[in-house]
Amino acid sequence: MPKKTWENTLTEHVLLKRIPTAPFGNIRDRHVVGYDEYVKTGGYEGLRKAVTMAPKDVTEEVKASVLRGRGGAGFPTGLKWTFLPAPDEGHRYLAINADESEPGTFKDRLLMDFDPHLMLEGIAICMYACRLDRAYIFIRGEYHHQAHVLEEALKEAYANGIFGEKGLINRGSNASGDAFVADCYVHRGAGAYICGEETALLEAIEGNRGWPRIKPPFPAVKGLFGRPTIINNVETLCHLPFIIERGAAAFAEQGVESSVGGPPSFGTKLMGVSGHVNKPGCYELELGIPLRTLVEEFCGGMRNGKKFKGAIPGGVSMGILGPDQYEAELDFDIGRKYNVLGLGTAGPTVFDEDTDMVAVARNIARFYKHESCGQCTPCREGSGWLYQLLCRIEEGDANTKDLDLALEIATSMGSMPGTTICGLADGNNWATRTIMNKYREEFEARVKRTYIPVSIGVS
Amino acid sequence: MAWITKNSAGMKIERRDEPYLTPAMRDELINTHLPRYEVRKGALFPALHMIQHHYGWIPHQAMLEIAEVLGITPAEVFDTVTFYEEYWTKPKGENLLAVCRSIACEFCDATACTEAIKAKLGIDVGETTPDNKFTLVELECIGSCGTAPAALFNEDLHENLTPQRCVDLIEQIRSGAYQPGGTGAVKDE
Repeated sequence: MPKKTWENTLTEHVLLKRIPTAPFGNIRDRHVVGYDEYVKTGGYEGLRKAVTMAPKDVTEEVKASVLRGRGGAGFPTGLKWTFLPAPDEGHRYLAINADESEPGTFKDRLLMDFDPHLMLEGIAICMYACRLDRAYIFIRGEYHHQAHVLEEALKEAYANGIFGEKGLINRGSNASGDAFVADCYVHRGAGAYICGEETALLEAIEGNRGWPRIKPPFPAVKGLFGRPTIINNVETLCHLPFIIERGAAAFAEQGVESSVGGPPSFGTKLMGVSGHVNKPGCYELELGIPLRTLVEEFCGGMRNGKKFKGAIPGGVSMGILGPDQYEAELDFDIGRKYNVLGLGTAGPTVFDEDTDMVAVARNIARFYKHESCGQCTPCREGSGWLYQLLCRIEEGDANTKDLDLALEIATSMGSMPGTTICGLADGNNWATRTIMNKYREEFEARVKRTYIPVSIGVS
Repeated sequence: MAWITKNSAGMKIERRDEPYLTPAMRDELINTHLPRYEVRKGALFPALHMIQHHYGWIPHQAMLEIAEVLGITPAEVFDTVTFYEEYWTKPKGENLLAVCRSIACEFCDATACTEAIKAKLGIDVGETTPDNKFTLVELECIGSCGTAPAALFNEDLHENLTPQRCVDLIEQIRSGAYQPGGTGAVKDE
């Protein structure tokens, strides 16, 4: 049964089953899991079961599990799949978002580094359920090694009849009447954060510059090459084998129900902890874990015994958790409860008491300035202004009124929906605004006072 | 980034007789990559990666050759090339040192590593050494926050760097003792 409050009931890892990680393994034992080893340890059983079911039932099972997208937005995966129109003659695509570029996020790299077949199995299940015949793994350009591992794994998968003409999905679909050949390719990006945005990712696969598209039409209707397309994150797809093999109910045993009446946060989540903790790294834990428990029990506490000052819950776009929010539960309700944008990718970057929060804000502003694609004016110009302003504040060269100006720029450049096409400016807005509001006194200490001349009329 | 434009009208490009796109590359492009995409432009990324990987940068002539194979205009190729950071439109040094400067790395002392490299090579960020051996750049997040600070040395990821380790790696590259492969994801304890 799903729990109301978090307690650790995990007895084995789901996603990191073959990637030794504390507390169930030693990271020194990590190695690339090939096809043979993957199958020997129960791999591709989920796919084998899936192809005996009708595609519709697979989608229903995923829907019943309330698997929410692990890429940041937390949109229910099963629901996304139902937006697809009925199959027709042309190609239908799956685009796998492996463009993990959000600062503070490194969970997908781990999955691709060591257990590529788990992801390929998830891809195959998704392709079978949604009747998609081509998949592109969009992997970021900086992941040279991972792209190579994936290429090798794909070769093995083709050779062992997962994809391709004699593939398992094809054989399975013969049983239900309609044959189709499923293909999967690796498509390497070339170093642009914006390509993690789903429509920019499609543009990059088409060979264009990564400029996000205006929605609607949504990718499920008109996506890659103008055809129906599903875009899922690596981690989301890696959950599918477990859900199909063990059922939606088993998946819902982990994680927590929503405490504010929203959709639940079921399942486990990879949490990539970075920053000032003793044992940073990627841990697989149930959703809903309080940040304090994560840091104190799993990451060995704060580095050098320092005090907790703040943490970015999952990627810099999500804003920051202040010093009084150490107890925040890491689930999909976090946005409503703690004045941040959301859970994001659940990769907390933790800061200790010595951290200069003005420098944090400046670093984040630089990131957005550098990565803004330049399509929408508020984001292109605003991110540059904001960076310059924060540099001035950091150098002690600004006035009190500049703080209000910075907040105003942040708020007016990105508030979804409305000012910009995609959410990049919104991320910049949330990051800057939450840091400036939650650490206001630090910013005030860095600026010169603004005196407003008041003339008193003496008559 | 992409939106910083400059007037290139009337620009003459350098040409050489030997094509940059070798017959082997052309074959791979036409037989392996083109069938994967519904439109021919889709194969542009793999084509550019091939050139970038082989020559370390993408000469204008290579862009023309790719445009010809894919049946698109050279302007479309140029548009894509200039947008993405990883494609170099100018030659760079033999070895590319890219230090991450994003949030986790900066607050785990990536700056000290960059400074050490700068002092060792005598160049600033974005510059190439006079002997054309090294180019130093700073990148945004390279997905190694848990093992910060991190850097990409050519195509290898190095994690848990210290200034001394950076200097050692440069020495190794110089002396030819460098073993490609990077640190992998296992943390040094």
